[in-house]
Amino acid sequence: MKIFNKDDKMSSLVTGNYNLLPVINRFGIHLGFKEKTIGEVCEEQNIHTGFFLAIVNTYSDESYFPHAELLSFSPFLIIDYLMTTHQYYINYILPKIERLLNQVLLTCRKDCSSLKMINSFYQKYKAELLLHFQQEDEKVFPYIKELYNTRVIKDPNNTLAVFENEHTNVEVKLSDLKNLIIKYLEPNYDSNAMNEFLFALFQFEKDIFDHARIEDKILNVQVLKYEKQLKKLNGIG
Amino acid sequence: MEESVFIIHPSEIIRKGLAWILQEYFSMEITQLAAVSELSSFSEITNNQIIIIMEADCHIPDEIWKKLKRNNHLSVIGFLGHERKNNSYPAYEFELQERFTALQIQQLIQVVRKSVAKQRNIISVNGDLTVREKDVIRLIAMGYANKEIADRLNISIHTVISHRKNITEKLNIKSISGLTVYAIMNSLIDIKDINPEELI
Repeated sequence: MKIFNKDDKMSSLVTGNYNLLPVINRFGIHLGFKEKTIGEVCEEQNIHTGFFLAIVNTYSDESYFPHAELLSFSPFLIIDYLMTTHQYYINYILPKIERLLNQVLLTCRKDCSSLKMINSFYQKYKAELLLHFQQEDEKVFPYIKELYNTRVIKDPNNTLAVFENEHTNVEVKLSDLKNLIIKYLEPNYDSNAMNEFLFALFQFEKDIFDHARIEDKILNVQVLKYEKQLKKLNGIG
Repeated sequence: MEESVFIIHPSEIIRKGLAWILQEYFSMEITQLAAVSELSSFSEITNNQIIIIMEADCHIPDEIWKKLKRNNHLSVIGFLGHERKNNSYPAYEFELQERFTALQIQQLIQVVRKSVAKQRNIISVNGDLTVREKDVIRLIAMGYANKEIADRLNISIHTVISHRKNITEKLNIKSISGLTVYAIMNSLIDIKDINPEELI
């Protein structure tokens, strides 16, 4: 897949990979680009061009992940992006997925108990995911911001490593949900409705994979390293 | 084969409530009756899958019972008041308490579904899981840890881990709640045996 640079047309980003649309929206960029390049649009909107490019490129090509470059961005920039992404999931994606699942439930013909079970499983997954977002938005991210602002480790026993990382758990459940439907659920529902639900799940899986990757491999790596430096400076540990 | 459910209870609130819950899950016909005697109007039903939910201390008149039983596939779910009486009906598939919890409702759903599935003669296909793997998945769904599973099946903990690995590879389902849903959907386990934390 093509790696985009700042002289490419912004419109080519969308025509090249329409899955990037919600990603660029998260930066506050919307359609109607005319002939402007990526660099021009970013400058106009006061967006860090390098960061924008790194995000869209890693998103559109899973094998592309420039660690060194990504690690050079400010954690504040990354947190902003991650929090906007959370909002996009909470306000748009999860309600949409739920709506599509309800559509499937409405088309169920006989004995819907297995489908109901799938619904319970989804609800459990969603609850865990929301809790995970909440934990990050209310505890982890504020902690990191404060750490960089004050440059002090308040409590050596309460650092990033303490915040439990539940990414794997929620990822596993999403994959289980798909597999249960694809392999084991009796197809006593409308196929088109189920397809839409599954498409949404696949797309969400891809999105959240990328999201988790930035968080785990970039933000967390930055912070752990920073904490180490601070501990040395403060003579702890 | 048609499926029909009879809810027999003098309390209209209980009848309607149960009917409402069951309708959420099944598209079968649900008939609400205030007394067992009213069942006589339905004794001509033939070739139906009939599920009767009624108070445990009531008795279906022999004549109606025999007729229904002869011509249909019949299952009875007993409904207990808070005072348990001794002369309870012998043939209950499930006993429902009056103050039932959400979990009991799920159990009821499971019982109803099982009776339906039995009749449809659906032999569930459990992938290529071996008998041992099915034992393990059952215990996983019941919330047991590896060590406990090992003790119960009299095998080593390493064997349990290797079974788990094989199960996960075969089914491509990794989470405990995912495996629990699988076990229920494939009738490997009854919903009342599971760890409710894992599902609802």
